Amino acid sequence: MNNTLNINRFGKILKHDGLNFFPNLILTLAILWAIPVIVYLAVALMPTNDTKDAVDAFSRVDLISALANIAIIIAPARLYRYCNDSRKGIGYAMLPASTLEKFLSMLIYCVIVTPIVYVAGALAIDSILALFQGPYEGFAVSIYFDTFAKINAVFQRDGIMLDESFMLYYASISPIFMLILSAIGTLAISSIFMFGNMIFKKRKTGKMLGILIILFIIFMIVVINYVAHNEAINLYFQQMNDDNKAEFIKNIIFRIMDITFYAEIIISALMLFGVYRKIKTQKY
Amino acid sequence: MIKINNLDFAYNNTQVFKNISLEFEKGNIYGLLGENGVGKTTLLKLICGLQKPQHGSVTVDGLTPSMRQPQFLQNVYFLPEEVITEDTTPEKFIQKIGVFYPRYDFALFNQLMKELEVDLAKKFNELSHGQKKKALLACALSLQTDYLFLDEPTNGLDIPSKALFRKVISQYCNDETTVIISTHQVKDVENLIDPIIILDRDDVLLKASFAEITKKLYFEYGPERLQNAYYTEMLPGGYINVMPNEDGLESNINIEALFNAVMKNKETIKNLMQNE
Repeated sequence: MNNTLNINRFGKILKHDGLNFFPNLILTLAILWAIPVIVYLAVALMPTNDTKDAVDAFSRVDLISALANIAIIIAPARLYRYCNDSRKGIGYAMLPASTLEKFLSMLIYCVIVTPIVYVAGALAIDSILALFQGPYEGFAVSIYFDTFAKINAVFQRDGIMLDESFMLYYASISPIFMLILSAIGTLAISSIFMFGNMIFKKRKTGKMLGILIILFIIFMIVVINYVAHNEAINLYFQQMNDDNKAEFIKNIIFRIMDITFYAEIIISALMLFGVYRKIKTQKY
Repeated sequence: MIKINNLDFAYNNTQVFKNISLEFEKGNIYGLLGENGVGKTTLLKLICGLQKPQHGSVTVDGLTPSMRQPQFLQNVYFLPEEVITEDTTPEKFIQKIGVFYPRYDFALFNQLMKELEVDLAKKFNELSHGQKKKALLACALSLQTDYLFLDEPTNGLDIPSKALFRKVISQYCNDETTVIISTHQVKDVENLIDPIIILDRDDVLLKASFAEITKKLYFEYGPERLQNAYYTEMLPGGYINVMPNEDGLESNINIEALFNAVMKNKETIKNLMQNE
């Protein structure tokens, strides 16, 4: 018998989790689906130029993306809330499936199924609303996966002039690579909250969010202090003219994007390893 | 076969087991007795792989439970004392988990539910505590695992249900099934369990079959207290005396009296049972 991965058994655990755990998330998804509808109704009832601008297709894509991230953050604790509970988790621990199979099933539901179901539902609702003669103009679905157009729109909306190198940089990135970038970002967020779900017994999402906020504040304090008190950096910056400064900032942004990409991969790997270990060794 | 070798286990600083060794052979219904807090549930959890020994080893058919391999998990079922069930019917519950167990039999589940007199149509949260326990027992037996671990299974059962419990366990557990029943309500499992294991704080006081016990101990039912008895208790119509069986007499075990005798004469009875 293959004790590590058996396709038949994996199918069973996938079905088990889908039937037992996924319904726990439906109410959360319904609330998140309702938010764009509430926005639509609010704008329809109080139409002004400002509110109409706020619900153009790009803004709605932003809103759906943000809500999808919230769904990803909430999902592990809603789906697998009891898997580390000393009493309620026994049934899950004793299910005859391997640690890898349980882990992969958890990963699929938290990282793939949840965002796909949420985004598909939200885009469907958006499309239905856009069909009516109302404040929604254009279809969010038509630009949701066009990352380049989204970034361009965000910069334009915020009054930031993109220089040619930025445009070329984004234009040079293939849509598939952009999708991978986006998927890794999703994986990083999800894996952090999957890990939080495994290490905390109660208020799992809140505690993990609290930790992230504290870590972010510490990180920012350290970076700002370092930059502010580093004479070499300050001197270098003072000697630059405006063109150099723009170039410098642009390079910094590119560098941050690179670092973020690698950091997301490393964080995902560490968190997912932690989740796997906790599934394997959790005591009840 | 379950083998426990030189097992040490503690929760933080509270020692539960210290260097204990035990073996459970196939085809028996073991009674795991002991006062509250001696570690009966912990022992079951160690055998199920829900806890991991700090020292020593636990193996079930050569597999290490704490590794939680499917090959091990599909052969064991643990029914905890505290009944936690989902908002579903027992039928749907067993259909969801049954697919993981190679010998799961849905027809047997229906038969057991009928015999245990549990309403098939009701959800778990609509059933009484005792009904829930019986429904889960039907689920556990229908999985037909080689090992079945029941933690205080008769808690919350009414008197007719306790009789039904004894009936289905003895009827549906075959020669290949090893059942360990942890309980402190010894009368509920009388005439069902054999051998008996009595646990004490970090120690095993007794592990013996009924035949081995009656060979060493004599249960005398008479009108008076006997001076050389390990334990004497007044019963309606007389006394029960638990005494050393020096003359090789046959007697019927009273598990409650045995338990009390062992608890009052820990070392004496432990040594008596260990001597050939």
